[in-house]
Amino acid sequence: MTTAASNLNFIIAAYAVTWIVILGYLWRLVRKGGRARADYERMAQQRSGEKSQ
Amino acid sequence: MKPEGQLNSSSDRLRDPSAARPPRTSIWLAFVSIGAVIVAQTYAILTSPAEGDMGHLQKIMYVHVPAAWMTFLSFFVVFAFSVRYLWQRRENDDLLAASAAEVGATFNGLTLMLGMIWGRPAWGVWWVWDARLTSTLVLFLIFVGYLALRAFTDDTQQKARWSAAVGAIGALNVPIVYMSVKWWRTLHQPPSSPATLDPRYTMGLRLNAIALLLVMIYFIRKRYEIARLERATEHMAEAAAMGGK
Repeated sequence: MTTAASNLNFIIAAYAVTWIVILGYLWRLVRKGGRARADYERMAQQRSGEKSQ
Repeated sequence: MKPEGQLNSSSDRLRDPSAARPPRTSIWLAFVSIGAVIVAQTYAILTSPAEGDMGHLQKIMYVHVPAAWMTFLSFFVVFAFSVRYLWQRRENDDLLAASAAEVGATFNGLTLMLGMIWGRPAWGVWWVWDARLTSTLVLFLIFVGYLALRAFTDDTQQKARWSAAVGAIGALNVPIVYMSVKWWRTLHQPPSSPATLDPRYTMGLRLNAIALLLVMIYFIRKRYEIARLERATEHMAEAAAMGGK
């Protein structure tokens, strides 16, 4: 493999790692955010139910 | 009802838990920041010529250097809000510092990985115990420790106090990382910035830094929103357990 081709592999690896980290963390935030909001709404509903009783 | 951000006492939340609900972080900021990264990377890759010594390997700079800058910026946010928490004991400052710490650790890990990918073809080794690399690894480990401390401490007040202390002291390592290439003889090159670069590469670097800054802002805002939701849920659960109305 020539040096230029080998270097190209490292460049592709660097950009791939960058996108995996950015999209991976974004995915984690979306999932965690969805769970947190659902838990919050469930608890808020439960609390308002307790208050009305 | 008090304006957003002024609900600091738990009695406020017990009376009106829904008032603690944080506003949603706009999904448009996510689209704009991801779009900005695509545009900036495309521009940098297509317009930057091969560098004299490294050839096209230089293109790794457009992701490695902005990732390092975002690490420093995130930990500066941790420092500022940790110090403010220790001063004023506002819960939201603790949550914001913790959100920035998680985002900073993510960028720090990315910086280390990109440095290794760049180091292998440029220096012939994946890793060397050089001052810049070692101090960056120490910074990463401090903030992994910070996140572990928060994960394993149950008492909310204690968690906030301890992590604010670790965050403020840990962020003091940032100037050491930055200056390490000047203070010690290192394999790592001096810091890259638009001022030290060939003008043909500066626009690409600036654009990528701005794009990653938008990503960082979105990540911290979204993580902070989640942290506030989780804390508000905890407060409601505590109130329910105590039979509070």
